[in-house]
This record gives sequence, structure tokens and C-alpha cells, in this order.
Amino acid sequence: MLELLLRRCLQAVPLLLILSIITFAAMLSLPGDSVDVLVGNAQKDMSPLEIQVLRQEFGLDKSPVEQYILWLSNGVFKGNFGRSYKDGRPVISIIQERLPPTVRLVAIALILAFCMGVLWGLAMVALKQTRIGKWLEAGLFVIALVLYSAPGFWIGFLALTMAGRMGVFEAVPLLAVHAAGSPPVNPQAAFSALGYVVLPALVLSLRRMAKIALFVRTATLNELTEEYVTTALGKGLSREQVLTKHVLRNSLAPIINLAGLSLPSLLGGSVLIETVFAWPGMGRLAVESTFGRDYPMILALVMMYGALVIFSNLAADALELMIDPRRRDAYFAEVEGAKP
Amino acid sequence: MSQSRFTISDPRHSSIRMWVGVILIALVFSSALLAPAIAPSKTLIWPVPVNLEAINLPPLSGGHLLGTDLLGRDLLAEALWGARMSLVIGIVAAFAAVTFGGVWGALSAFLGGPIDTIMMRAVDGLLAIPNIVLLLTINTLLTANPFLHSFPDWTLRFLKVTSFSSGYLPLFTVIVVISATTWLEAARISRSKIQSILLQEYIYSAKALGIGVIRMLFRHLLPNAAPVLLVEATLLVSDAILMEAGLSFLGLGLGPSTPSWGSMLTSAQSSLIEGNWWAVIVPGILITTTVVGVNLIGEGILDSQGGKRQAV
Repeated sequence: MLELLLRRCLQAVPLLLILSIITFAAMLSLPGDSVDVLVGNAQKDMSPLEIQVLRQEFGLDKSPVEQYILWLSNGVFKGNFGRSYKDGRPVISIIQERLPPTVRLVAIALILAFCMGVLWGLAMVALKQTRIGKWLEAGLFVIALVLYSAPGFWIGFLALTMAGRMGVFEAVPLLAVHAAGSPPVNPQAAFSALGYVVLPALVLSLRRMAKIALFVRTATLNELTEEYVTTALGKGLSREQVLTKHVLRNSLAPIINLAGLSLPSLLGGSVLIETVFAWPGMGRLAVESTFGRDYPMILALVMMYGALVIFSNLAADALELMIDPRRRDAYFAEVEGAKP
Repeated sequence: MSQSRFTISDPRHSSIRMWVGVILIALVFSSALLAPAIAPSKTLIWPVPVNLEAINLPPLSGGHLLGTDLLGRDLLAEALWGARMSLVIGIVAAFAAVTFGGVWGALSAFLGGPIDTIMMRAVDGLLAIPNIVLLLTINTLLTANPFLHSFPDWTLRFLKVTSFSSGYLPLFTVIVVISATTWLEAARISRSKIQSILLQEYIYSAKALGIGVIRMLFRHLLPNAAPVLLVEATLLVSDAILMEAGLSFLGLGLGPSTPSWGSMLTSAQSSLIEGNWWAVIVPGILITTTVVGVNLIGEGILDSQGGKRQAV
């Protein structure tokens, strides 16, 4: 298993390299460099020689390839991705501040989306089996469809205003959100670990929850047409037993894979949700740097997001291999076969 | 649950769903087409007049069926004109993305070998960035000021850019940004489809006849992959409409003077404090309806093709 994980990690490296080359080339193609931004209008008061010296200090007189290698080696070995144009602080330390809130938000949203999505999907399949439940199932299906199609930030600010007007925050402190500018976690709050995160995470998870619910519904319903289901029913097992013991276990692997693959869309959604809820995370940082044209920051953020997504896909893949012995055997057979 | 049989999906339901989708989209399209008749206007930019004496009117008051927004613009008129913008953005961006992605994937599959690896690894790498982040990055690149100045004159005239108005430039930028983000999935789909087409016998014969790359692509490969790409285009329309709303919400969209559903949502956000909830509800429901409709149609086509079923 360890060998498998290592092998997968090694496969992720070239992907990250390609990503870094593309983004670096894109940023380099933009007119103006960090010296232009740092010096700004004072440039006309400086002698060309001074500017030349500055450029040399930043390594901007080198060829693009050399610049890329310099940037990469500084980034990988020293953790130095340059300084933010905005306030001159090292990019990496700003990201270190902004990463934990985003991870907290996205992790809780992922757990919510997976648990409630699977329950929702199974509830739809179970309800479909009864006469009255059929109509309930249709209702749940439509709700899931609407939640999947509605813009997340729209639901976000509707939820925010409605909760504020109806006094939900006073009644249910768990759902409270922090005001813009205040620290993200209030130590006095009863649920300090979950402080202020529940409502944003719930809103963030809704779209994915609906997608997982719809996927579970389709996957399980398709699984029910398999012959082993008829066999199990023929042996005299009840439908509950067949559903929970046989069908669920078989459709679980792709569901877990889907949950792992949810991370890119949750991270993407978090950019908008963080803006709605004034959440001091990486998403808002990305929006701020876009407006401020903070190129080193954007470059580092793209790499950060890329790494998060690539490694989460890897984890989802490895998890699926762990759960499903058929796929694991097939994978190892392929690896062994590849070895001469 | 005591019976010994399961109720599974009824195939009739999927055609019902598809029809619901078709009806929803037909409604949205007809309202977009009827916009000039219901809410007359001379220009596409700023077509709905501002009326500061009638701000934040609730629905059904003072001749405003859906009420007014924070600048006193009639919401119905805005919604109808916004439908045009949002649909134009959705459809043009989706087709641009599918065209580019389709050609990219087809070329990659056709050329094969190391070129194929490089082309597809680039797609994989870009797909690893969450789409909103990619959207932000491409927006930064495209709207860099000196980049705009490098545009030839006739393009600026075509986009009606003058010294006091940016004309259709924001619209153009939004469409390019969205399609530059969404072509990746299309490229992947096109490549896998083309790879299976390449194994067909008529392709061997065409190769044996010494056919050129361009002719091969546009005469044999892409037309045969068109049905798959068409489904992808349908699904991308809904993505593009959602992305436009997200971009506008972040302040990178069309701006407040051009009504689209996204920019309506943005301006409605600030009127929400004054209790104007209807200005938020209207564009949101329109976006949701359109996206539901498009998704239902896309799923319906996938179903009828017997393709692999996705969850909507």
C-alpha cells in the first residue's frame, strides 16, 4: 500500500511542474515586472544604472528559463515565493495565515456534503419504494436539482439576511457568523472550534450535497438492476438487508471517489462564499490579489490551490483502491505487468 | 418495505424531465426575444432607465410588476434585457469553449505520441486549479492595461470602445475569460471520443489516401465527434451562466450599467440592507430556472444517446 501511495505521489510531481510552467509563463508575458511595480512613478527620477542594478538584484536580467528555475528553486527549497506587491510581506507567510480558515471551512463543508448527501440519496431510494413516499421522493429530487443549479453565493446572502432578520443568530448561537473585520474565532464562544463556521460551511456544502445526493440516487437505482440483487431477493432476504448489506457496499466506492473529487469545486465555491461571509481565508485573498494585480501572490495561490487539488485527487484515488479490492488487484496487476 | 421487489427508475420519467427542461428554456428564450416589445429601449448598454423617484418599490406597485431596484429601474425590464445578456454570454462562451477544446482534443488525439502527452498534461495541470481561481487568474491576465493597448484599432471600433465608454469590451472579456476556463473539459471529452473514432476503418482509408491534417480534422474527425461535443456545449451553457453571475458578484463582470442577471444580483446585494429582497429573488430565480432547464436537457440528451449517466 505504501508503495502505491509513493508511486502516486511521484506521478503528481510532473503535473505540478507543468502547472507552474504554464502560470509562470503567463505571468511573465504580462508587461511590467516587479521593479516597475516597486519603484512605480519614481522610476523617471532614477538613473538607468540604478534601475539596472535593481533588476540584477531581482534576477530580472536573466533569461525567462533561468528566472523560472530561480523562482522554483527558491520556492521549493527555501519556501520563498517572493514578496507581495501590496505590502511587501513574504507571500508564503500571508498564505500561512489565510490557509487554516479556508481548510477549516472546506473540510467541514466536505464532511457535511458527504454525510448528508449520501443520507439524502439513500432516503430518496428508500422513499421510492413506498406508495406515499414516491411523492416525497419527487419533492426531494426537485429540491436537490434546484440546490445544484442555484448560484451558491445567492443562497449565501439570502441565508445571511433571512437568518439576521428572523433572529436565528440569537436563538441558535452555533449558526452565528462573525461581523466583517472581527477576529474569525471568538474564544468565549461556546463552540469555539466551530465558531462562526457552521453557516458558511453549510451554504458552501449545499451544491455538492445535492450533487452527491443525485449521484447516490442514480448509482443505487442502477445497482438495483444487477442480477445479484434478484438473487439476494430470491434467497428470501428482505429489501432492507439487500439495500444496506449488498447494494450500498457495492455503490460506495464510486461515491467516496466522487466525494474526494469534490474538493476542487468546494475550493472554487469557497472563493465566493468567503466573500459573502467575510471569511478571512485564501479565497478572499485570491480576490483581493486579483484586484490589486499582485502577481507573485496570484502565482503562489494558483500553485497552492493546484497542489491541494492534485493531492486530494490522489487521496481519493488511493482511498478508492483501498476500499475496492477488485480495483486494487487490477491496479497491482497492471503495475506488475508494466515491470519487465 | 416488505415486498420482494424494488421500484427502480421509470424510463418514462427521463423523457418527462427532458420536456420540463425544454419548456423552461423555451420560456427563458421567448422572454429574452420579447424584451424589446415589453421593455422598449434604444441601446443594449444601459437599456433600462434610472428613476430615482421610484427606488426600491415593492412588486405590483406603481405599474412595476416585479418592483424596482435601488436605482428605480423596473425589475421586469431589467430581467428581460438581462436574459439576453446572460444567454448571449452563456451560449457564445460555451460554443467558443467547445470549439477550441474540441479542436485541441482532436489534434492531440490525432497527432499522438509526445505531442499528445504534452497537450493533455497541460489540460490536466490547468484542470487542477478550481475554476473560480482560474477565472480570476485569466481575468487578471486579460485585463492588464498594456495588453488592451496592444489591440488593433479595428477591434476596438468593432467593440464600440470610445474614450468615454468601454462599449462591448467587458462583454467580450467576460466571454473570453469564461471560455478560457471551460474549454478544458471539452478538450478531454473530444480527445477520448476522437481516439475511438481513429480506430475506425474509414480513417485508415483516409490516411492511406494521404489526406492532410486540416481536412482530416474538419472533414472526418470533428463532425463525427459533434454529438458528444454538443451535449458538452449544452452543459457548459449552464456553467457559463453561473460563472458570469459569480464574476459579476466579485465585481469583475459587466458592471452595473449593463443588465445581466449577474450584475442585477450584484446591485441587489446592496439594496438588501434597505429591505429590498425582491431585487435579489428575481435574478436568482431566473438563473436557477435556466440552469435547471439546461441541466435537464443535457441529461435527457445523454440518456437518449445511452451515454454514461452523470448525476444530472
